Amino acid sequence: MKRHFFTLLLLVSAVFILNGQSTDQLVTSCVMNAGPNCKYLKDFRIQLAQAPSAGEMRYKAQMSLWKNTKYKFSMCTADDSKGELILTIKNDANQVVLSSFDQKTGKTYKSVELTCNRSGIYQLSFDFKDGQQGSGVGVVSMIK
Amino acid sequence: MKGRSFFILILVLLVSFACRNSSSKKAEFVFPEADTIPIGEAEKLSAEAIDEIAKNIASPVEIANLLQSLAVPFSPDYLASSIDANKQSTSFDKALTLGILGADLGYLNMYEKTGSSIDIVSSIRKLAEGISVGQFFDFETIKRLSLNKSDLDSLLFMSIDSYSQIDEYLRENNRGQLSALMIIGVWLEGQYLATQVMTEYPDPVLRDRIGEQKIILNDLIMLAKPYCNRDSEFGNLCRDLQDIKDKFRDVRITYTLGEPVSKEVNGALVVEQTETSQVEMTDVQLAGIIAITKNVRNKLIANN
Repeated sequence: MKRHFFTLLLLVSAVFILNGQSTDQLVTSCVMNAGPNCKYLKDFRIQLAQAPSAGEMRYKAQMSLWKNTKYKFSMCTADDSKGELILTIKNDANQVVLSSFDQKTGKTYKSVELTCNRSGIYQLSFDFKDGQQGSGVGVVSMIK
Repeated sequence: MKGRSFFILILVLLVSFACRNSSSKKAEFVFPEADTIPIGEAEKLSAEAIDEIAKNIASPVEIANLLQSLAVPFSPDYLASSIDANKQSTSFDKALTLGILGADLGYLNMYEKTGSSIDIVSSIRKLAEGISVGQFFDFETIKRLSLNKSDLDSLLFMSIDSYSQIDEYLRENNRGQLSALMIIGVWLEGQYLATQVMTEYPDPVLRDRIGEQKIILNDLIMLAKPYCNRDSEFGNLCRDLQDIKDKFRDVRITYTLGEPVSKEVNGALVVEQTETSQVEMTDVQLAGIIAITKNVRNKLIANN
């Protein structure tokens, strides 16, 4: 029984460790692959179940963006996700500034660059395409 | 029978761990999103609001980047070099100083003065350990990256990520007051840096960035507010922040509307805002902001 207990302990620890590692690896690789002249600012780690119905984007966060600054938003999706990570940014008047998903063409962009000309607090909304299940990371960098 | 039940137990545990990836609520273990503030104070400011405010504060890396783009040379005189981490006795001092030195570290890293940042990195470790969050600051790796100048990107990521983890941990463990102090320290030092450079190298873009801090100043005050009556140290800090806010009162920020312009470049989406913001700030108002920032920052450093 004692041996079984240690096997259980080992398995549980392994699940914890592997889970953490895959997250860290995704974040690190997303940050490091943001591109030349990109300086890391923040990341948003997103993990969502399948939405009951497609609708509002589910993961929301706020971030201040500053005039005269070029930002790059990189979206990285974990391999085991059902949908691709997408981002929409709205200003404080609730107007869409950018979306990494083009509804007209159905194209999803893995990165979006923004030349910010209005300082303010913006709302960043993330979800997986069509409200699918997935995990991923959105990295915000500054382009030097 | 015992053995069969045991393996069923293992199976149930493994399935339940695997399901973490598909549940938004349970996902918090891997991708922490929740945070808390002390019981009884929650009604004043929701946990979600604190998280949002924390993310709104401009990164010192952005300010350092702006200074570099304006060709402002590096100067060690702007740094809070007089701080002695060993002399920080209270958690208040340690957390606030952790924030101040975090901003200085961002400035040093952006200017690639990483060799000179070792002292600051050592102080940060001591302070982090002093408030029991040293486990989030990978001193050895950061030190190695600082000495080996070739991997600046990893260094920036590790430094900022360590601070984010400390901040999240503090809030998750009902030590939101220390998180607030750290954030205030980062902002104050960043603003000090910007205003001091402004006195030596006046520039309209930098001037605007200083005035634009009005946008987040209220949030910063809200962050401190639940703790203003906690003790005299917090009380004084809250009064200092209010004094800073007073100097911003008549600064005006206006907006010109416009639709963003998008185009695809090499497979990536590139967006340019045509909407703009403008800052109206007189020389007298700017001088007042520079003076109060210097006074408050230097007072806090002198106390330390």
